[in-house]
Amino acid sequence: MIDPVTRIEGHSKISLHLDEEGHVEEAYFHVTQFRGFEKFCEGRPFYEMPSLMARICGICPVSHLIASAKACDAILAVRIPEGAVRLRKVLNLAQILQSHALSFFYLSVPDLLLGMDADPATRNVFGVMEANPAMAKDGVRLRQFGQQIIEWLAGKRIHPAWVVPGGVGSPLTAENRDRILAGIPDALAIATRALDWFKNAIERFREEIRTFANFPTLFMGLVGEDGGLEHYAGKLRFLDAGGHVVADYPDTTYPDFLAEIAHPWSYLKTSFYKPLGYPDGVYRVGPLARMNIIDGIGTPRAGQEWAEFRDLDRGAVLSSFYYHYARLIEIVYALEKIEQLLLDSDALDTNVRAHASVNNTEGIGVSEAPRGTLMHHYKVDRDGLITWANLIIATGHNNAAMNRGVLQVARHFVHGNKLTEGMLNRVEAVIRTFDPCLSCSTHADGRLALEVELRSHQGELLDVCHTR
Amino acid sequence: MPHTLNTLVIGYGNSLRGDDGAGILVAELLMERIHDPEIEILGQHQLTPELMEPISRAAHVIFIDASVAGRPGKVHRIPLRPAPVCSRFTHQATPESLLAGAQALYGHTPEATLYTIPGRSFETGQQLSPAVRRAVNELVATLEKELAANAV
Repeated sequence: MIDPVTRIEGHSKISLHLDEEGHVEEAYFHVTQFRGFEKFCEGRPFYEMPSLMARICGICPVSHLIASAKACDAILAVRIPEGAVRLRKVLNLAQILQSHALSFFYLSVPDLLLGMDADPATRNVFGVMEANPAMAKDGVRLRQFGQQIIEWLAGKRIHPAWVVPGGVGSPLTAENRDRILAGIPDALAIATRALDWFKNAIERFREEIRTFANFPTLFMGLVGEDGGLEHYAGKLRFLDAGGHVVADYPDTTYPDFLAEIAHPWSYLKTSFYKPLGYPDGVYRVGPLARMNIIDGIGTPRAGQEWAEFRDLDRGAVLSSFYYHYARLIEIVYALEKIEQLLLDSDALDTNVRAHASVNNTEGIGVSEAPRGTLMHHYKVDRDGLITWANLIIATGHNNAAMNRGVLQVARHFVHGNKLTEGMLNRVEAVIRTFDPCLSCSTHADGRLALEVELRSHQGELLDVCHTR
Repeated sequence: MPHTLNTLVIGYGNSLRGDDGAGILVAELLMERIHDPEIEILGQHQLTPELMEPISRAAHVIFIDASVAGRPGKVHRIPLRPAPVCSRFTHQATPESLLAGAQALYGHTPEATLYTIPGRSFETGQQLSPAVRRAVNELVATLEKELAANAV
């Protein structure tokens, strides 16, 4: 058993079950934290929901703010001003930028730079600082820039309350627009360096590419009306492993085509595509899915990188190892798109909020968070008090694929009844490619953690690894 | 590298876990009282690696955190030295490791002090226990005076 799984956002453990010959037969990724946000928000006024839901996570509060505010817009039944849409988009992209920088530079570069078999005592961000200080500085700078954009827009980096039902709390100032624009060239240079480094490094990870959740699934995410990359609003697209569009749906109709099941071994629910049932309807979301489902990107540098990425495979790119690659392309996209949005002549528009009272008793908000599609769905009474809430989080969409990925990696790398550090790290690393946020997905509390248990076919505990 | 800050104050903790919010509250109260371009005050939920950069630009850094050990409300002042403590978790950077990181990446680490405020209750909620609330007020008053006198 790997307990705790490290360098992820939240706590979990992995158990590996062997057959009589000592080969891995089953693997389970258990999420061991529980929160229950959906339940304890009942009875609260709907307009508190964006700020309340943002407390689900310290890494991606902005994503929850956006999806929650969109659900509340639907309760108000307002079309929010274009100026507010533009600023929410910039905020969402800044969130994607800082979260992807954290995932890549802090959580994944230790494996990619130092190697999967490196000493775990140094295979971390401080080991990266020693081995490649320039790269460590790049990581610090890029994440800092994403957080600064959030602070300049929303007043603070974590848990800002600036996104409100009907729009945003205040317009962008010329000073803050100019500060953001001034930082883009440096950030783009960092993102480009990281992409070039990654593309050179991947040759060393052929075995991981082949075995890290590399199997056919569906892919899901938002696309724009033109099929382009979209993180704020659009239609939900399903794509099959061959690269064919299965269906495009209005985002607010998710209950028609998505269902969730609970497993007794995890607090994390699993979503699947209803028309294909479970497990055939397993799908993946997040950067890899977004790079697969789109018809184009719409910004120049990211567009070039995307074209190169799509040449990796004839259909959809299937290996989850390439989540890292997709994440880096999205960083480039986020920076280019923020620049486009802020160079708009209406970027400083002061009309940024619509006002209304309760006009609908149900609202659904869907957006793309760093880790994938995020859905907030609320029902309220006539006074606007929450009577029911359902959140479907990126990590829940990916749960079945993560479990299948753990099994694939464990079958390839784990042999015998003793666990080695290199085996364990690869089992953890496949989870890290998805960049799961367990605080979000269980909507959790307490310490960060992953552990791996190895059990015989009779259930006897053969080995346990606690990575604290 | 020249200092661009005289003092950086970093108060951190979880404001939704009772007394764990003491550090961040000290930072927030100091932000209301001190408006000096030479002093930067940050309220953080946790210490993260990107803090190494502003730390490297300061001549002095003050960390303020709640503590599970000690008599509730009894503030401790601890001088810090850089120590490259390796953590696998992004949420568990220590003040000492950030100081070491600032030195390693940016070539400078400031003089550093940690103030710890032992808490009584770390359960869910935004209320501080009375002894911790008094300690917060006293520490804010002390730091305000010291920062004004540039005597940290």
